Amino acid sequence: MSAQRHFAEAVLAAEPLCPPGLMAWNGSDPARRFAVYRNNVMVSLIDALADSYPVTQDLVGEEFFRAMARLFVRTHPPRSPVLALYGAGLAEFIEGFAPAAVLPYLADVARLEMLRVQAWHAADAAPLGLADFAALLENAPALAATGFDLHPSLAVLRSAHAVVSLWAAHQAQDGTPDLTAVDPALPESALVLRIGIDVEIRRIPCATAQFILHLQQGLAFGAAAQFALDTEPAFDLPAVLGMLICGGAIINLCQPRREPA
Amino acid sequence: MNKTMTTASLALALGAALTVAASPAFAADSAADKEKCYGVALKGKNDCKAGAGTSCAGTSKTDYQGNAWTLVPKGTCEKTVSSTSPTGKGQLAEFKEKKA
Repeated sequence: MSAQRHFAEAVLAAEPLCPPGLMAWNGSDPARRFAVYRNNVMVSLIDALADSYPVTQDLVGEEFFRAMARLFVRTHPPRSPVLALYGAGLAEFIEGFAPAAVLPYLADVARLEMLRVQAWHAADAAPLGLADFAALLENAPALAATGFDLHPSLAVLRSAHAVVSLWAAHQAQDGTPDLTAVDPALPESALVLRIGIDVEIRRIPCATAQFILHLQQGLAFGAAAQFALDTEPAFDLPAVLGMLICGGAIINLCQPRREPA
Repeated sequence: MNKTMTTASLALALGAALTVAASPAFAADSAADKEKCYGVALKGKNDCKAGAGTSCAGTSKTDYQGNAWTLVPKGTCEKTVSSTSPTGKGQLAEFKEKKA
């Protein structure tokens, strides 16, 4: 094993063991210097997680969150130097983390928060304009077989819990979330989309979530709309299209990449 | 299962959506009047901010021990309805009392 590998493993090891061969420039105890370095690495990564998952932290309290994050960092060290996107696997970690089991919605709240961070950093893409859609209307027979490319920042999260309400309650300006009206056991779906420079999180009906996911997966417009209507007779296609067009979520027309299931 | 998406209904829906999208109420709120500004990243989301990712962040923090796992979640969730709680609410507060 290389010296570098020894060092990297010692940095994240549970026990503070100084890797062999370390020397301090001024002759001080390398084990003590290394312990400071270890602590800085760990704490900065935990801080990064706390920055990316503020609501998750609110839900469990800072002490619980930081202790959980410490275990996560040990088993999921960064794979990329981009700290901003660190911690994408936290939701899956939480699902398998017994002490958090009393909060069954915690993993999905974490999932939503990471989607928000990813949307923030997603690539720019110029949306189609009204004229493009008007032109599409000119050729109505081709409409059903057209696919839509969606904005890189767009994501849909379908949850068995009230993730959007929980998240939204924690956006209160005065910092005291009102959760009395939130029933976490109600299923909710979220649309995450960067509009301009703001990432928006909206609660959307289940059929709408399905429709947008189908478009994202490359299903044709007609097939995706039919599927949504079959699931939910009240599916409001004009409203959903209006929301996607106004939010700049449709960036291109394309050939469908997938057949209806 | 009784309704079918015809070409006409798809076109109608798109037409209605465009009418809404073109109305002034929506246009004023569109992305067009904003610009992407570099260098003003969301708090904590840039890579070199003092805080997340800088070594100075670590020095003042205490080291949490592995036995932190005896902790229970605390905070705002106490006010939240809980399906696993015998009372339906406040289960976490009860846990906290046990610990105290």
